Amino acid sequence: MAARGRSRRTLSFSVDSVGINRGESLPPTLQQPTPVFPVMEQKPLPLTGGEEAEYLLALKQDFRGAMRSLPCFIQPAAALRDVERYSDKYHSSEHTDGLMDWTPDWQRFPRELRIHVKKPARDGVSVTRSDAQLAQKKKKKKVREKEEVLLKLETLQKKEEQQSEEDDDNAEQKKKQEDDDADGEEEYDEEEFEEVILYVTCDGSNQSMWTGSGLTKGSVLQETDYIMSYFDNGEDFGGDSDDNMDEAIY
Amino acid sequence: MTAQEVRLCGLLLREHFGEVVEKVGTQLLRSGAQNLRTIIHETGLSVDLVKKSLMVLVQHGACLFSSGRKGPGSPTEYRSGCDRILRILRYPRYIYTAKTLYGDTGELIIEELLQRGHMTMSGTVKTVADRLTQNMEEGRSMDYSEVSSAFSKLVETHFLQRCPPLAGAGTADSTNPAPGATPATPSTPAAPPTPESFPDCYKVPHMTLVGRGKRQLTAEDGEDQRNAKRQKMDPEAHGDEGIYWQVNFERFHLHFRDQAIISAVANKLDQTSSEIVRTMLRMSEVTTSPAATCTKPLSANEIFRSLPASYNIPRPILDQYLTLLVDDPMEFVGKAGESGGGMYVVNLHRALANLARATLESVVQERFGSRSARIFRLLLRKRHLEQKQVEDFAMIPAKEAKDMLYTLLSQNLVQLQEIPKTPDYAPSRTFYLYTVNQLPTARMLLQNCYKTVANLIERRLFESKESKRLLEKSQRIEAILASLQASGAEPEQLTEVEEMITAPEKQQLDGLRLHINKLDSAENQVDETIFRLESDVNSTATS
Repeated sequence: MAARGRSRRTLSFSVDSVGINRGESLPPTLQQPTPVFPVMEQKPLPLTGGEEAEYLLALKQDFRGAMRSLPCFIQPAAALRDVERYSDKYHSSEHTDGLMDWTPDWQRFPRELRIHVKKPARDGVSVTRSDAQLAQKKKKKKVREKEEVLLKLETLQKKEEQQSEEDDDNAEQKKKQEDDDADGEEEYDEEEFEEVILYVTCDGSNQSMWTGSGLTKGSVLQETDYIMSYFDNGEDFGGDSDDNMDEAIY
Repeated sequence: MTAQEVRLCGLLLREHFGEVVEKVGTQLLRSGAQNLRTIIHETGLSVDLVKKSLMVLVQHGACLFSSGRKGPGSPTEYRSGCDRILRILRYPRYIYTAKTLYGDTGELIIEELLQRGHMTMSGTVKTVADRLTQNMEEGRSMDYSEVSSAFSKLVETHFLQRCPPLAGAGTADSTNPAPGATPATPSTPAAPPTPESFPDCYKVPHMTLVGRGKRQLTAEDGEDQRNAKRQKMDPEAHGDEGIYWQVNFERFHLHFRDQAIISAVANKLDQTSSEIVRTMLRMSEVTTSPAATCTKPLSANEIFRSLPASYNIPRPILDQYLTLLVDDPMEFVGKAGESGGGMYVVNLHRALANLARATLESVVQERFGSRSARIFRLLLRKRHLEQKQVEDFAMIPAKEAKDMLYTLLSQNLVQLQEIPKTPDYAPSRTFYLYTVNQLPTARMLLQNCYKTVANLIERRLFESKESKRLLEKSQRIEAILASLQASGAEPEQLTEVEEMITAPEKQQLDGLRLHINKLDSAENQVDETIFRLESDVNSTATS
């Protein structure tokens, strides 16, 4: 430390043993990082060609292409664009069909990785037990709500009818009538109930019912009456090459 | 898990599984074992996407899960390793090897298993039979029994193995508790059991599967859906539910190692010596463990009897060849005794070390020239040399030798060793010796190889992205052409469609394809170097 500033000519290593002779200067110090693509003194060897290398190349490219179409290739949902569009509702669920092709053996995976299918079951295979229960619960809830609404309407109707009847019926008769009405209500409600159930099951399994009748697949999957090209917003038009602009785009 | 390895693994995951899996995979690789909630938090993806990616990774064996460190009640932890994901680079080589050994059927079986990760035997046989039937002529189809026999052969030679059944793993759902595995105790986390620790690893299950491959017909949409539904509705049980198979990469690596040794002998000596070495390796296939330093000793009599019939060399000539092989400086074959006409072994680890050394020397030669390579070989042989001695032994003038040594030193291929004469390390009284350590240098070059492959992949992705529009257009036109030809169009229509691509675009496309093919083949070739360096590093680490 004491000798630091005194003599600048001595270096930290002995000059002789490393091989620098007198009169030679050290190479200039580096002032910036080395270039990213330095010039190569020797050209690299060419690749080994041959039948085997070509076959391996073809195998590699085929494998890559095949992996893209398998269900294990997970595409994220398309990036949201600046403004929400009505057609997004129908376009966004087109991609997820590929994932349902793969039915994993759930016993080989930890329980926490199970995914619940959100769409109503098309065919009962790819839905696990818990999913089927969820679907049934949802159906029951729907049915119960509808039932409650219908019950309310019925009771209101009955009340109006009862008020319009004679008021000097005694309590028992009233009660009887009420019981009868209640029974009638129940019967009526059961019929309503059945109708409601039919209505709900029609909704839930519409795909399986309507598939054979020749409706196009896209519309049935997305539960609309229009084919999917109805929802093209025309933003893809004109995105093709603008080279050779001899003709105008109308 | 070096930065280069993680980067390369990320690119491989992106190409084969998509960007979502890439994010989850790199998160696992960078931060070690984590539970689901941490992964979701760190990657910022939705819960469903993370769950799906984890399932994909577990399915392909890239990720292992176990119960948490704090005991059986804690959430499951997922961990991933670079090695398994780096194998993806070598998939084409595995498929090609299966083709050379077991024909098209074997090739397709290995390809299916590599694509799907784990599969049951019945599933594989059906899919492969269907694929083979697709490519056969009309009216012929592939029988399931042929595919099953090819599958059994692959299992017998250990190229396929059963996936290890789960032993608990934090859930109550495992139905196949392993007979020989110890369940994880709460206090000590058990290491993941290797597939070989289970006794049934290579046993083919008894399967009832009779039939032929089905050709996929182009049915109308309505019919197709009804048929598809009917197939899904009644899954047939074939008696091998729950038994999943995976490709045994280690066995393929042993095969590659043997090939490398045989071709090295053929290059250095001649064809007959390589046949002798091939015979010795074939005889010791089943008796040698994968991590063995050398094969079991074989007597010259046995070798003589087992030579292939086409090579009927007389006995004394065989002895001469064996002596030549033993005396060769590459030390592929060693002599282990005199009984039985001489006991000979193949020195596996030494052969791998020599192959790696040859790789290092050729790297130096191609990068820096043959004189630098001479200095490098000299240092490898003589271990430690001073500056003056290097100049003398290499017979290179002092100034050039100095320059070359400093270039090699700056690239870290050569190291400087100080030997002090006095305890104060004074520079004028210290010996400075140049030396080359093979193992650290091999590791450094291995990392360079990973970086190289990652750069190649990135460049390829960049090139495809630049010309994405052009590629899409050409794909569309090919699809139109194919559909027109299938429906029988006139030649004028076909030429009209072909002319939709202009001539300069065609040139651009051709150039692009050439670049992409070059980059792909370069990846394959670098992977061969990676294999050689990796096997040497791994064998030295275990020995």
